[in-house]
Amino acid sequence: MIDKMKRWLPWAALIIALAFVPKIFGIYYMNFFITFAVFAVFSVSLNLLLGYTGLLSFGHAMYFGAGGYGTALALKYIWNLPLLPALSIGILSAVLLALIVCPLVVRVGGTAFAMMHMAFAQLLYVIALKSRFITGGEDGLANFRIPPFSIPGVVSFPLEGAPANFYYFAIIVLGASLWLMWFFTKTPFGQIQVGIRDNAKRIDYLGFKVTHAKAVVYIVSAAFAGVAGSVYAMFQNVVAPDGYLGLLVSFTPIINTMLGGIASFFGPVWGTAIYALIEEIIFRYTDRVELVIGIIFVLVIMYAPLGFSGLMLKLKFKWMMFKNKRMRQAA
Amino acid sequence: MKFIIKILLIALCVFSLFFLQVFNPVAAVAQKGAKPAKPPATHPKLAEANYAFDVNAMGDMSDFDPATVQFPKGDTIKVAVVASFTGPAAIVGKIYWAAVAWAAYDINQRGGIMVDGKKKFVEVIQADHMGRLDQCKKVAERMALQEKVHVLVGTDGSHLMKVINQVADKYKIIAQNITSTSDDLMDATNFSRYAFMSCLSSSQVGSGLGYFYGQIRKKEKRFYIICQDYAFGRSIADSFKKGLKQYYPQAKIVGEDYHKLFLTDFAPYLEKIKAAKPDVIFTGDWIPDGANLVKQARQMGLKQPFAHLFLDDPNFLHEIGPQAATGNIQITQYGVEGGAFKTPEQIKYYKTWHDLWANRWKTEPYNSRLFEHGSGNLGSYRQQAYWLFSVIERAGSTDPEKIIAVWENDTYRLPTGKVLRMRACDHKVVQDLHVFEYVPAAQQKVSMNIEPYYWYKDAASTGPTWRIPAEKVLPWMDTKLERCAGKNEWGE
Repeated sequence: MIDKMKRWLPWAALIIALAFVPKIFGIYYMNFFITFAVFAVFSVSLNLLLGYTGLLSFGHAMYFGAGGYGTALALKYIWNLPLLPALSIGILSAVLLALIVCPLVVRVGGTAFAMMHMAFAQLLYVIALKSRFITGGEDGLANFRIPPFSIPGVVSFPLEGAPANFYYFAIIVLGASLWLMWFFTKTPFGQIQVGIRDNAKRIDYLGFKVTHAKAVVYIVSAAFAGVAGSVYAMFQNVVAPDGYLGLLVSFTPIINTMLGGIASFFGPVWGTAIYALIEEIIFRYTDRVELVIGIIFVLVIMYAPLGFSGLMLKLKFKWMMFKNKRMRQAA
Repeated sequence: MKFIIKILLIALCVFSLFFLQVFNPVAAVAQKGAKPAKPPATHPKLAEANYAFDVNAMGDMSDFDPATVQFPKGDTIKVAVVASFTGPAAIVGKIYWAAVAWAAYDINQRGGIMVDGKKKFVEVIQADHMGRLDQCKKVAERMALQEKVHVLVGTDGSHLMKVINQVADKYKIIAQNITSTSDDLMDATNFSRYAFMSCLSSSQVGSGLGYFYGQIRKKEKRFYIICQDYAFGRSIADSFKKGLKQYYPQAKIVGEDYHKLFLTDFAPYLEKIKAAKPDVIFTGDWIPDGANLVKQARQMGLKQPFAHLFLDDPNFLHEIGPQAATGNIQITQYGVEGGAFKTPEQIKYYKTWHDLWANRWKTEPYNSRLFEHGSGNLGSYRQQAYWLFSVIERAGSTDPEKIIAVWENDTYRLPTGKVLRMRACDHKVVQDLHVFEYVPAAQQKVSMNIEPYYWYKDAASTGPTWRIPAEKVLPWMDTKLERCAGKNEWGE
């Protein structure tokens, strides 16, 4: 019982801390935290493919963008659409796109998988850019209505013009997404992912259909990227090709994941936190954030290929060794 | 003898007829009327101004250098210039910076502005949006929440300005648009009380050029439109079409194209233009697109003049040489018909900038020709910044509500003598516009009427100038905007 409590205590502390963020910090850090949470979910969704299944995608932004555009278009063109259906439309847009793309991409791996995604993402980028009368082209869609959060007869509170309310909504949605993804990786099916990554043939011989399993993981990953995109669209109140479908958007979760470590579920979350903190600090001195992040990325690849969580594990291991050694010496 | 008399009488009759034809009073009146008509007088609503820029009140600018200028920190009036300072349009941010920094430095040299019972200096901060929408939102929010600026000044791109206005509205600070011309920035959907569009708008550019080609020039008839594919490009192209329809129904649009921002190869578009054989190519492109478009057009043998708004960058005008830009037509918000300098104050104002450029500014890009004269679009940005500071001074506060109260319906006289009027209901500027024809150095003296009597020796630049009266180019007003319902185009 005490062990169980010990396990849950840090999480309870985190939830309480998150609840007090609006009271302790101002709007600016609240916005900072929402952005961090969005990209953490986006990065973890990519890591379901990269870290767990061994599939590197250079075009994951297309699901982020599909989520963002789906929600923005729904809010712009469907009169009086409530919040949760708008969010669902964003997620469904990403899932629908994944359903169209996955029959083609799950049959390949490695470089072909990465490049095909880059091609699809660029295709979507150009479609968004050229379909001006639907997507707003280069200008994107902005100033769409943000409906209040309401469960009829239970609760209703506005999100527009109420940053703290939006913060709680975003944190709940994104936190739930992270928990669901974590839960997914702990299911027996989640373990098949790791098997596919390590030895796809063995999984095949065990009787699982590798392509089908890959497709399911792929769609789940796309759905959560869609959640991130959808929340981000409502948060920013603007969607545009560069910010949602551009190449940089595809590379951001890869960098986050590599910085944090692909071998752990929380690696991309750490990576996103590191990226956001570095960006926040560097911005005070120079606009050349990408340059500094690039240098750090190179250093991580060269000296800590397992990222921050790998480095922590290594340090923990070394600490244990040191402790054991001292205990042996004392004995 | 009779025959000779008869011949003489006939000759006399013919001569009399000829004499009458030449010297009759009706013909004389008609001939007088054929002379170029004087432009109509300035509209009475723009004759007087609440505030006039006083060149003689300027501070000591001798140490100003946009590359090294430092602003006081602490309890200041904070203004963020939100623009591209990196990326393909980085030079544009530098132009806005030089303009706003100049005005702020001058105000500080005068001792600052009295606001909320205290004299405060102006602090200007660079905020780089890199030409990206997501970055623009991020950086504008940072300025509003972290730096706690009082005013956001922007920017190169109407789509980016929309985001800045949105941020200003959300955090209740003032946004000043000094350059993005899309009319929809101030329509019923996007209007914000906190946003002020102190520059000209697309509808004015369209009707201004339509008026010029249809009512003044009456020569070219076939027009080709090529613009950037975003809010501004679309909006300015639509306005140009509307302007031609209104003032020049005989004109024909022989083709139109919209290209991606920051394109480097215009060849496919230029081939189409070549085939369409227009008399004039209209473009709303700004640098670097505009410069690349014209350079490539001339390389491909297109000789047609461009009608434009932003193709006045002297660096590229020098690259293409005087012939390539001669005949181009520019519509501008910073012009003077006839000679540019009519008063000693105007010369002083010009020389203060020009002499610093010539003797003091040694750092790229501020030592380049782009910054030589401080007039044109750059001159306009500078004056808009002065207008902002004048409004803050008269409001006596950085409280946005007090600033709004002063700025709505305010009138401000530029050193050129022109008056700007802020239409209260939709925060758009009513003003006279000017149209320049680009000519080689030898003909530039009609505009550059002080030594050395040309703007640029080796490039085409401003020559003959025409004023387009404000009443002919009143900015479009969205009557769906509640504040404008039932009001006339002057906002009254």
